[in-house]
Amino acid sequence: MENTTLSKNSVSFGLALALVCIINAIIVVVKEKSDAVMNGMKKITGHHWTTHTVMVLALFFLFAWGFGRANNGKGTTITGNRLIGTLVSGVVIAGLIIVGFYLLAD
Amino acid sequence: MNEIILMTHVLFGVGCMVAAVWLFVDVVNANEGNLARIRRLSWGAAGLMWLAFVVAGYWYVTAYKVDKAIILKGPWPFAHAFVMETKEHLVIMLLLLVTYLPIAASNNLATSKDARKLMLWVTGMIALLALAMDGEGAIIAMGVKVGLLTK
Repeated sequence: MENTTLSKNSVSFGLALALVCIINAIIVVVKEKSDAVMNGMKKITGHHWTTHTVMVLALFFLFAWGFGRANNGKGTTITGNRLIGTLVSGVVIAGLIIVGFYLLAD
Repeated sequence: MNEIILMTHVLFGVGCMVAAVWLFVDVVNANEGNLARIRRLSWGAAGLMWLAFVVAGYWYVTAYKVDKAIILKGPWPFAHAFVMETKEHLVIMLLLLVTYLPIAASNNLATSKDARKLMLWVTGMIALLALAMDGEGAIIAMGVKVGLLTK
């Protein structure tokens, strides 16, 4: 079984960060490609970007809570290197999706 | 007043970037003696970025449409179509990273190599992203300027 000297919160929030960065990028593509989604997001808070931010932050805390509840409340177990790899990959891939989308597809 | 608000967000953002670089160096040399400072600075960096984000968000939602119209009609429409569009969505990832910073800093960095590596990667990504945001902001501001100059 893999273990880590990192705290439960470090792991659960770190994994949540990686996942939500990707989700953030997907929301960008979906809202830019769908007028219905964009208009819906505008209606919720008055501006699509505000809604987007609120959604991403809410998902971040929700997923962190979820990852923290794994293994009967002990939290997800993962090595430090794997956590770092996941986190960095999430940020980089999400960044590439966002930049690539606006450069090539929008 | 809009310009003061705009410059305030840049000030807070640069403050966050400087804090991230300071943290990176402190973590490289992490020991029992600087742990408290690393943790305080992590909260400080997070606080500065949240301030930058809220101030910028307010300005973006209330005042940016005027600048956007100038940029799109000027010789640098990419300053909005690509640069601002990527900035407003990449910065959300930056906000998540700085929010995570105090959590990562709460580990015992003096004794845990994993924790130090994690902090180095997080502070490194924060510093680079913040620098990119600063650069994008400069291009956007220049897009407004060239748009006004060619009117």
